[in-house]
Amino acid sequence: MNASPLIEIRQLVTRFGEHTVLNGVDLDLYAGEIKVVMGPSGCGKSTLLRCLNRLVEPSSGLIRFRGQDITAPGTDVRALRQSIGFVFQQFALYRHLTVLDNVSLGLRKLRGLRRAEAEQKALQELDRLEMAGHRDKYPAQLSGGQKQRVAIARALAMDPAVVVFDEPTSALDPVMSREVAALINRLHDEGVTMLCVTHDLVLAQNIADEVIFLDQGRVLAQDSIARLAKDHADPRVRAFFGRDGDKA
Amino acid sequence: MSFLDILRQLAHGVGYTLLVTLACSVTGLLSGLLIAGGRQLGGAASTLLLDVYTYVFRGVPVLVLLFVVYFGLPGLGLTAAPLLAMMLSLGLIAGAYLAEVFRGALASVDAGEILAARASGMTRGQIFRFIELPQMLRFAVPGMVNEFTTVLKYSPFAYTVGLPEVTKEAMSLVATTHRGIEIYLAVGLVYFAIFRLLMVFIRWLERRYEIPGMRPA
Ligand SMILES: Nc1ncnc2c1ncn2[C@@H]1O[C@H](COP(=O)(O)OP(=O)(O)OP(=O)(O)O)[C@@H](O)[C@H]1O
Ligand SMILES: [Mg+2]
Repeated sequence: MNASPLIEIRQLVTRFGEHTVLNGVDLDLYAGEIKVVMGPSGCGKSTLLRCLNRLVEPSSGLIRFRGQDITAPGTDVRALRQSIGFVFQQFALYRHLTVLDNVSLGLRKLRGLRRAEAEQKALQELDRLEMAGHRDKYPAQLSGGQKQRVAIARALAMDPAVVVFDEPTSALDPVMSREVAALINRLHDEGVTMLCVTHDLVLAQNIADEVIFLDQGRVLAQDSIARLAKDHADPRVRAFFGRDGDKA
Repeated sequence: MSFLDILRQLAHGVGYTLLVTLACSVTGLLSGLLIAGGRQLGGAASTLLLDVYTYVFRGVPVLVLLFVVYFGLPGLGLTAAPLLAMMLSLGLIAGAYLAEVFRGALASVDAGEILAARASGMTRGQIFRFIELPQMLRFAVPGMVNEFTTVLKYSPFAYTVGLPEVTKEAMSLVATTHRGIEIYLAVGLVYFAIFRLLMVFIRWLERRYEIPGMRPA
């Protein structure tokens, strides 16, 4: 593990008008690591991820990516975005493009690869996720789990420094969720750095030893789910993770 | 003179009717696309300007604008050939309507896909070109068919600036033969045939570019 984190978030504050969504978040993500962020709906999980690639502008605080403060003026936002792979809850595949084109579009238009090269690289990624056989299908012809694999292939094709997942299993049934969990574990074994936001306790348990609990704009706790469910001082944390007690 | 003779005589005008319809549809398509693109990519000022433009052009009667261009502009030392005058009136008005069609079609592009494209690092222009435009064109097919049909139905105005299209041929025929009912019935048939042909062409285009799960709403 490197001495300095790949992503370093310090005292991140994000406001939408009067509404303070993130209120001093600290988080480190090291290369090769996977971290899971959980928290009640509306606590700012998506906002946190979107601050990383400046889809949302932080109000104050610091985000360092590979040692560079990416909130600084003059940051090359497009280059930043290209090095952060994004996977969405609703997959967000381009519906007018085939599976192959979904994965190769960025390579052609952002990396400037010629079509043949881009498609070769895209096919490699699809193959890695066992989706190469579906290369000529359109998103509407895929199941949810297949769409999510394509979305992950699309993110990986750009060789990002980190892949962030925003509730990757919320739109999937339990079987497909387990598949995604297995996939994330495999990517972790292959050394992919990942940050995953989720509501899905099973997914969280499957892919990480510890979770970060975000509440009211802050990191309220960071520990294993078992300990958060049983031993945490705050009853709301116990309720969120525990099966007993009043569910948050 | 048989009904077939009448049709044969009208056929002389069909070329002009097709030419006017095609030229004005293309003008409308291009100006509509420019307006839609400008509205997406431009700033607040250009959006306001384009909105005013479409508002005005949708409100002006085709014939009035045609006369302004064809009979009015020469007063300012600008003359427009008949076809050009049609394109600058009927064509631009169709463009203003098409811009509205495109605006609606753009609104149906999934916000999640646009967010994904932004997150991948595409510029505003790339997102429009590679994500929004291709989807917009497919969502807009019914509205475009409507507008092209309207252009066809307004094409007879071309005779007022001296283009001998189908209706003009019919009027000359009626003047010499006084068989108005048959002749105008034949005119109706000719327009219907052109309309069907247009539809066949559009259905072919639709099928050619069909994408599963992407039928216009
Ligand atoms: N662009 C925006 N403008 C105004 N408010 C916003 C914006 N984006 C998010 N919010 C608000 O910020 C809060 C946090 O939103 P966010 O989407 O980050 O929550 P979340 O933790 O991802 O929730 P969920 O689990 O439901 O996805 C919500 O109250 C939301 O309404
Ligand atoms: Mg969210």
